[in-house]
Amino acid sequence: METKVFDKLSKFLLPIASKLNNNRYLKALRDAFLLALPLTIFGSIAVVLTNLPFLEKMMSTDHLDTFRSAFGIASQATMGIMSVFVVFGIGYYLSKHYKVEAIFGGAIALTSFFLLTPFFLTPEGGDPIQNVIPIDRLGAKGMFLGMMVGFLSTEMYRSIVQKNITIKMPAGVPPTVARSFSALIPVIITLSVFLGVNIVVTQVFQTNMHDVIYNVVQAPLVGLGSGIVPTLIAIFLIQILWFFGLHGQIIINSVMDPIWNTLSIENLNTYTETGEVPHIISKQFIEVYTVGMGGTGMTLAVIAAIILFMKSKQMKQVAKLGLGPGIFNVNEPIIFGLPVVMNPLILVPWIIAPMIVTLVTYLAMSMGLVPPPTSVAIPWTVPVIVNGILATNSIAGGLMQLVNFLIVLIIWFPFLKLIDRMNLEKEQQKDKENQKVS
Amino acid sequence: MKKILLACSSGMSTSLLVTKMLEYAKSVGDEVEIWAVGQDEAKKEMEKADVVLIGPQMRFLQEELQTEAQKYDIKVDVIDMAAYGMADGKKAYDQALRLMGNR
Repeated sequence: METKVFDKLSKFLLPIASKLNNNRYLKALRDAFLLALPLTIFGSIAVVLTNLPFLEKMMSTDHLDTFRSAFGIASQATMGIMSVFVVFGIGYYLSKHYKVEAIFGGAIALTSFFLLTPFFLTPEGGDPIQNVIPIDRLGAKGMFLGMMVGFLSTEMYRSIVQKNITIKMPAGVPPTVARSFSALIPVIITLSVFLGVNIVVTQVFQTNMHDVIYNVVQAPLVGLGSGIVPTLIAIFLIQILWFFGLHGQIIINSVMDPIWNTLSIENLNTYTETGEVPHIISKQFIEVYTVGMGGTGMTLAVIAAIILFMKSKQMKQVAKLGLGPGIFNVNEPIIFGLPVVMNPLILVPWIIAPMIVTLVTYLAMSMGLVPPPTSVAIPWTVPVIVNGILATNSIAGGLMQLVNFLIVLIIWFPFLKLIDRMNLEKEQQKDKENQKVS
Repeated sequence: MKKILLACSSGMSTSLLVTKMLEYAKSVGDEVEIWAVGQDEAKKEMEKADVVLIGPQMRFLQEELQTEAQKYDIKVDVIDMAAYGMADGKKAYDQALRLMGNR
């Protein structure tokens, strides 16, 4: 009975998963964030180093300030201007998908983005300073505009290229030269459109596209995404997808990442300036506090429960197999071996435990018991406790994970015990049969 | 030389199975090359492979990869869930051999 229902649901989810995973825009976006990731990790290392808790005791305030400002450029040049990499990445990967000259796609997307960016800064109560780009426009604040411009400019560029309105060169002209000319018409048309938009918006409406998109699209969406309820919904969907054996994060994160990453950059920029963290929910909250304890569903606690308290051979074997990868947050052995997939006995703890842990962590952070993640980027394969301490720059961040570990263990325990007993009965029966045969 | 390509989201969890499959192939004396990649590299890498196996959590890739694999006349299949979970090298290797046929 149950398997029939699950099979049907699985058949229903498969095409949705496929569509989301293979959607060209979401794919380009995912790749663009992946392009920015190593750069943000580099910047994060600098932030972690300059904010080590014992530095304040070792150095005088003057020295510490000098040290921080010397290293500060490392995060400003990476996370501080992350929209630049995302815009370029979208242009590059989307062009690549359409099989048009990808590097031009990236450059056009970036230039289109700059065409809409104010090249002046108005200090509070002062006159505008000309010929500077306010850095926050290239970081968190410009993220959504950047993504939109990336997609739109690339779509324009590639459709003009594919219509073949290009300058044809006579044979014998070196291919690179020919390419640079053939890129000319699509480039000029695309950039003219964005220049035109900027002229209308700045001259007629006396504003700029950055402020329009920030206020109309980004601020409301990101504000919504920083709440606990949408976060719990996202966790719920990820767990459900994995329950059907589908990679939940690949599917859900491709939708949520723009929001979570924007929250992260806002966090990190505020943190490096003031030491405060404005948002609890961020990309790192999700990675460290919902996945970073053995993988999706925080299954390191499940492995511990099996090793410590369960007796059946089958479970022990799965736990032994899952322990090594589990330490580094890879848990396919548990998901497919225990198995979690389509296992009605596991559905409840599988979905409930991460949601409760997320809620408890969120509450602990909003009450100030544990500092929220500063949003330094940490590779998702960094083991539990270490990632919690690094993420929050506090021992409390690691202790929080110990509490979460116990929560997961307690929620799972009765269900594991039930499966253990069923497995034991089966194993004993098999043993008896084997004895009879021999 | 049998060449088997495994693919999942980032090539991490399938790399677990690679070790086990290699161990098994060695124990039966087969000469093989088995490697794991993420979904984005899979299309490029399959050129060098005789067969492609996908981690079950990425099984929604099958159709797309199979279309690409037709160019090289190779088969793409999803690794059996139980074999994947238990990192059963023998079962996964046998599955690969069956798909390869007489290559």
